[in-house]
Amino acid sequence: MRLAIQIIKNTWAEYMMYRLSFVLWRVRSVMQLIVMYYLWWAIFSETQMLFGYTQSMMLTYILLSAFVRPLIMGTRTQEIGGMINDGSLSNYLIRPLHIFRFFFFRDIGDKSLNIVFAFGEIIVLFLLLRPPIFIQTNGEILLFTVLSLLIGMIIFFYFSLLLSSLGYWSSDVWAPRFLSFVFAEFFTGMLFPLDILPAPLFFASRLLPFTYFIYFPLKVYLGHVQGMQLLQGVAMGLFWMLCMKTMTDRLWQRGLRVYAAEGR
Amino acid sequence: MVISVSHLKKYFKVQQKKPGLFGSLKSLFSRKFQIVEAVNDISFEIDEGELVGFIGPNGAGKTTTLKCLSGLLYPTNGRISVLGYMPQERRHSYLRQIALVMGQKNQLWWDLPAQETFLLNKEIYEIPDDIYKNTLAELTELLDVAALLKTPVRKLSLGERMKMELIAALIHSPKVLFLDEPTIGLDVVMQKHMRDFIKEYNVRHKATILLTSHYMEDVRLLANRVIIIDQGKILYDGKLAQLVKKFAKYKALSIILDSYISPDALGEIGELISYDFPRAVIRVPRSASNVAAAQLLQKFPVDDLNIEEPDIEDVIRDVFSKK
Repeated sequence: MRLAIQIIKNTWAEYMMYRLSFVLWRVRSVMQLIVMYYLWWAIFSETQMLFGYTQSMMLTYILLSAFVRPLIMGTRTQEIGGMINDGSLSNYLIRPLHIFRFFFFRDIGDKSLNIVFAFGEIIVLFLLLRPPIFIQTNGEILLFTVLSLLIGMIIFFYFSLLLSSLGYWSSDVWAPRFLSFVFAEFFTGMLFPLDILPAPLFFASRLLPFTYFIYFPLKVYLGHVQGMQLLQGVAMGLFWMLCMKTMTDRLWQRGLRVYAAEGR
Repeated sequence: MVISVSHLKKYFKVQQKKPGLFGSLKSLFSRKFQIVEAVNDISFEIDEGELVGFIGPNGAGKTTTLKCLSGLLYPTNGRISVLGYMPQERRHSYLRQIALVMGQKNQLWWDLPAQETFLLNKEIYEIPDDIYKNTLAELTELLDVAALLKTPVRKLSLGERMKMELIAALIHSPKVLFLDEPTIGLDVVMQKHMRDFIKEYNVRHKATILLTSHYMEDVRLLANRVIIIDQGKILYDGKLAQLVKKFAKYKALSIILDSYISPDALGEIGELISYDFPRAVIRVPRSASNVAAAQLLQKFPVDDLNIEEPDIEDVIRDVFSKK
């Protein structure tokens, strides 16, 4: 536990060294959010209901997706691919440290800082825009929302590690990562709820793990997934979590055997 | 026995690429690989508390051996045992007892003061508070960096950073220490500080140390025993003093003459290396050095004569160039 706290503290301290970068990063996030918000605001100006969503539901989805995105997809694990290639991974391997655990806590540091700021921003935006937000009050649903967020976080963590592990076999880790993210981000439901997609695409998205990053937790929050559907969704999420963890662990272990500790 | 290496081999598959843009494009479609035998069948053993110098030219296999010993690399073949562990298993109980310091790789957090890395290592190695405080005080005093603990790493000079790297690597008081070029890039004063520190650490903690260096001074002043490696093979393993006897086939007769003698006449005794009257240096075969010295004294007006061993660096250079 003390190790976890120290990792989180160091991660925060590191961000504080580059305050301007951090602030600009947050400004960018807010700008993106405002653009998306007004886009959907404009779309709903002519109609009360679209794709089965009321204006309030859709705007809640958009605002929350901006909040959930850094929570699930904020990570430092993308650094690992480069570390494998330049040999600096050795600094971690030489110490009695589970590198996945180290990066998990580093991510917690990363996410928590982003969330604190995102929370503040959303409150300011809320006061300024006074959006017709839908507030979930059902305790059980809120509990399942938290659970599905945790599942999404862990699936993403291993997915990102899996892509970074490719560094053991290729020095081109950036390209496969970029491509995978373009593909994955579309299917996370980051830009809009996936159920407004044409039926075949929506069906395909449900077969992928990416829906668990944003779409599924938000649908749970909005109360659109309930009963058997909710349990099935959670079970499927747990299945993906296990799959991704097993694949990543195996790939990593195989990678360690070919690790060349280059650079010197 | 702390370290035991038996028939260790480590081969790498290295991609070969022709130069230029065309070469890059070609390598997209057909890649050629070459097997590099970085370490090729080496064996040695090291006892507790020994400080061994590992020397060889660039690409000899020194760093690869250290990386295998510290568990970073899986051996292609052969057996390694350090403190009774197989390093490549990277068991935490093993990693808690060793440290690897690579001169050009740093574990310090670049943007944070060095003490943040030390605190992190304290938690990683699960060092109790009082032991951590004492060790940190001892190390910062030995290396004279107590005043710099709160300075961000990127603001430190290279020498100061190397010292901090050493502290980060030693904060858990490792029993076995692998030092790869610990003095690289440092000025002569800082090199001496570093050497003194390594010697002191070896004595104080009875630590087993295996050190590589390009600087013969490091090895000469620190290690009793040297292992010379070249092209992945061990050429010599033994005392530094014995190395000269084994590999130097010549001795140098250094004389001071009373009166001028022609270089040709001196050349009859042996190979005249330098002559700046009244001083001359003649190289003679090792076995014939006594006879040659006697001849010199008989034939010429010699005021002073010394029979000298050649310089260790020259001997090692000879060894590498003769392979």
